Amino acid sequence: MSETTVDNNITPTSVNSSAKHSENRLPGDIAMWFFILAELSVFAIFFIGFAVAEQLNPEMFSQGKAQLHPTAGLINTIALITSSFIVALALQIMHKGQGRNAAKALIIAQLVAVVYLVVKLWEYQFLFDADIDIETNTFFTLYFLITFFHFMHVLLGMVILTFIAIKSAKGQYQQNDMSGFESGACYWHMVDLLWIILFPLIYVI
Amino acid sequence: MTTTKSSILSFFWLILLTLLSVYVGEVLENRSISIFVVMFIVFLKGQQIIDIFMELKHAPSRWRFLLMSYVIIIPVAITAIYLF
Repeated sequence: MSETTVDNNITPTSVNSSAKHSENRLPGDIAMWFFILAELSVFAIFFIGFAVAEQLNPEMFSQGKAQLHPTAGLINTIALITSSFIVALALQIMHKGQGRNAAKALIIAQLVAVVYLVVKLWEYQFLFDADIDIETNTFFTLYFLITFFHFMHVLLGMVILTFIAIKSAKGQYQQNDMSGFESGACYWHMVDLLWIILFPLIYVI
Repeated sequence: MTTTKSSILSFFWLILLTLLSVYVGEVLENRSISIFVVMFIVFLKGQQIIDIFMELKHAPSRWRFLLMSYVIIIPVAITAIYLF
């Protein structure tokens, strides 16, 4: 019902104004962008700290990295990129006023993100089975700290995606006001952005 | 180009770059060159996420610059730490 209401709002005038609206406009709420910048800053400290620690303990980090599974890291990278891509598509669907379809896309994005959660938990379990934990050495302290912190961000992102999926399905976003949807989507892309730095830093180089 | 087409192209580009970075990490024996190439790939991937997925390509330039600077400064800093 509410979806029909949104569709009825799409007139040539509203499409033009929407196109103009999207030019030179920050998507989402500005408060979310400050939150994203704060999150990026915290992770920047982790990334730099990890690189410095590796330079100070090259042998320990080399041995530590050898005990990780690059394939697991690669699967997680592909899962997060795919999920982020589907969320980007969901936003474009939402711009066309198709709230329920956007909600479906968000659910698919979350199902893809579940792959990340399962693989990450499997990786943790694999390390615990090998008697490796956060206290093993500096490498694993940083490994668990950074990856688990990121894991928690993925969980928070999934909560946000669930929230905006419900609102989309109920038709609570309008053509001229989908700031909440855009904010949630951008948070999810930030989670992806962080992983594309984290993955090569910990698994590849 | 429509935004949907841009997103699809960006997705395949991101997957390709991911596979390329893993390949470079595995194959290149010179660690310095490997780190440099992998970090350059991080920048390319970050630029795609910021411009296409986050839709900041047409956002106010200050915000785009702020986000883009992150995917420039962090890879450069990591490269510098490892190489010098």
